[in-house]
Formats: sequence, structure tokens, C-alpha cells
Amino acid sequence: MLVLSRSHYQEMLDQARSGSPKEVCGLIAGEDKAQLRVIKKIYPLKNMDDSAEHFAMDPREQFTAVKDMRYNKLTLLGNYHSHPASPARPSQEDIRLAFDAGASYLILSLAQEQAPVLRGFRIQNGEVEEETIKIVEGNETDGASRL
Amino acid sequence: MEITVNGKKVNDIAEVSVEALLELLKVESPQYVTVQLNGEFLERDAFSATTVVNGDEVEFLYFMGGGDLAFTNEQMERYSRHIILKDVGVKGQKKIRNAKVLVIGTGGLGAPAAMYLAAAGLGTIGLADFDVVELSNLQRQIIHSTADVGKPKVQSGQETIAALNPDVRVVTYQERVTAANIAEIIRDQDYDFIIDGVDNFPAKFLINDACVLLQKPFSHAGIIRFFGQTMTYVPGAGPCYRCLFDAPPPPGVAPTCREAGVLGVMGGILGTIQATEALKYILGFGELLTGAILTFDATTMDFRRVKISRNRKCRICGENPTILELFDEELPVCETR
Repeated sequence: MLVLSRSHYQEMLDQARSGSPKEVCGLIAGEDKAQLRVIKKIYPLKNMDDSAEHFAMDPREQFTAVKDMRYNKLTLLGNYHSHPASPARPSQEDIRLAFDAGASYLILSLAQEQAPVLRGFRIQNGEVEEETIKIVEGNETDGASRL
Repeated sequence: MEITVNGKKVNDIAEVSVEALLELLKVESPQYVTVQLNGEFLERDAFSATTVVNGDEVEFLYFMGGGDLAFTNEQMERYSRHIILKDVGVKGQKKIRNAKVLVIGTGGLGAPAAMYLAAAGLGTIGLADFDVVELSNLQRQIIHSTADVGKPKVQSGQETIAALNPDVRVVTYQERVTAANIAEIIRDQDYDFIIDGVDNFPAKFLINDACVLLQKPFSHAGIIRFFGQTMTYVPGAGPCYRCLFDAPPPPGVAPTCREAGVLGVMGGILGTIQATEALKYILGFGELLTGAILTFDATTMDFRRVKISRNRKCRICGENPTILELFDEELPVCETR
């Protein structure tokens, strides 16, 4: 299960809405404890594809983010991207390009404008498995880490 | 020698190429890895020729990206009559490609519905039916052909769809849909929309109940003799089938198609309306048959659209629901033959 705070969720949603109709993306970092992954920080990154239908992260920004995670003693948990007009599930291309079996892949769909949907997935050898996401109230996920 | 990999010291390592190092570290799909050596980007084609020496700092990460594939020229041509529609366009056609519809029953209603959805370029179509094709089906169930008699309907349906449009992924469920498996089938592919193409009341109520409990939209339709009716349920947006019909009619009151007969084309008329509703829901335009029931009388060619509203006392979607889990309504004995 993935846990993130309402404010981190809102941050992702704001980025997705302001970037729409283009896709936006970013990295998620936090604590990885057995069955529980707690997101402590999100890193909005530039979509190099600058497209409504694709995204590609800038490796330079990725390296900078990863070094910041190390400095803050956080673990890279995975990434997120928006689907401005399609459902919150990985496309065939998303699955083909999911190389990191250890990563959580989050998709935020804005297809239903008033009801955005955030879902998480693990993708390994083309097999997709949903990962439950729990959004907790408040700014901090400290409480969540005791769940 | 000692090097640093992604911020961690790695000792007792021989001088190796970057390529060999990634292999040593059991990095999967190394062709999609970006490497920085001592803060400088290393081109992928230099991985094998670059040796890592004592004190080097190696950083690597996976390419992260994804997206929706562009349509091929052939697909652009195949869907060109959709794409020129203002309410569809390339964007809408991609919504259709990304969508998943479950068709329960590949009979009179499900056959034309599934075929039009397949022709439309729907990404995933689920077909659920336990039955095999019989000669008496062929007067209306146009997804099956004479050579298919005796074949499981889902297999025959899958073959017809594959021949019609190879873009479509078909998932088959050759089993009777019951309270024990319907939720699992709907969840299996996380279907966006469900088409009720079944021929008996217990299954119609079961589909309604499952869709209400799982919060999935579905299109209901029923046909008999020269008559048909259809309505669309969208969670939170209007009445469900049980709001109108609390329970199946008592055995013997309503005849089945087997007993009463049906004009073959009725399945085509109502089934294609169901496919239309699925496509409109996916595309997000127009007005659905939500809060309305459409009836059709082929003897007079009268379509009637009757407004219906939610029943506050509905046993499943009302204010105090009493149906909290799925169950199978009793199948009248005369229908089980």
C-alpha cells in the first residue's frame, strides 16, 4: 500500500490541472517499509515530450531529484504522470516502458473533470498489478508511518 | 578497487566496463538505463568501451516515460469516419481505444453490440457466455455463423471480432454469470461499461445489482416478439433497473424468447442502441438513456422515451438498501431447459 498526504495529492493534482491538456510527470520519494510505502516528498519534473499523449522525464532532472532524495534520506518509490483525457490505468506504451520492477507507477486521470482519479500500479514483465493508495489528511504523513 | 554506485560504496570490484558493471549489479533492461560517470552523462553506445576505475562515482537510473501510441496510417483510415466527427476526433478515438466493455451474453443483443463495438475500435471487449452456438440462434445472433454450430459462443464471437478488427483485444469468460463470479469478471479487466445482453430475468437483475454495488455503468435491454426496451444506468446519475422493476415476474407470467419468439432484427435494433450508449458514455458526449426508458414497437415503428426517476425505496440503490450483497434470483423452471 502507498500512503500520501492530502497536500501531496493536491500538489500533484494542481500540477496536472495546470499542465492539462498536456501530460505532466514527476517522481515520488519516501519510506519503503515492507508492505507500506509512505510518500514524503514529490518531485514535479518537466515532461520533455511536451505532449498531450506522452511523457518522458529529463534524466538531468531525475539525477538531481535522486541526489536530493539521498541527501534527505528518502527512497525513490516510483513516479507519477497524468492522463488528461483517459482513464487512470497504464496504456500499452506505459507498460512497455515500465522498466523498474521496484517502482510504483501512479496515474492521475483528469478524464472526469470534477472527479479526478489517482491509482497506483506495479508493473513487472508486462504484468500490471494495482497497488492500493491511501490519502491521509493533513500535511504530514508521519501519522501514516505508524499505520 | 572501490567505487561509488548510486551513492553507495562498492568494494572489491575488478576494473570492468560500465556494461559489465550493470550486469554485475543485475540491472534489468540495461538498454533503458541512463548513466552518469563522475557527474558526466555517458552515451549508451559507450557503455562497453568505458572502464570504471578506482574512486569513480557511477550514477544510473531508468528512463521514465510512457504515453499513448499514435494511430498508424491504416488505423487513421479505418477510423476516418469517426475521426472527422467533431465529437470524436483523434482524441475520442483514443478514448475508444483505451476503453474496456464487458458484454454479458453473446446472443441476440450481445452479438450486434459486440460487433459494432469491435468495428468502432474498442480496446478491450469482454465476452461472457456459457452456451454453445445452436442452429436456432443464427436467425438473429449475427456474430455466429453456420460453421460455428456446436462451438462455444465466446470462441465464435472472439473469432468473428478478430476477423473484423484485429486491433481489438477480446477476453472470454465461458461460464454462466452468477452471484459467485460476476464481481470477479467485472473486476478482471476493470471494465468501464457493461452491456446486459442476457435472455433471462435473474441474470438481468444480477447484472443490475453487481453494477450498482460496484458502481459501474451499464446498458439494459430486453426483446421479445416485436418489442424491445432499453435503459442506461450510470452510478449516481439516475435510476437502476430495480428502481423500475423490484423483482423478476413470477414464473409463467413473462414468456421467454424460446417460448414466445422474437423477430431476429429486434436484437440488432436494441443491441446497437446499447453499443451507442457505451460509445457515448466513453466519449462523454450527448444524452444517455439515464433517467429514461426507451421502448420500441416494430409493429408500428414507434419509439417511446419515457422519463423515469430514482425510487427512494429501491432495494439496492434507494435510501435504505436491503440488498447488500449479490444473490441469484430464482430461475423459473421453464427457462432452465
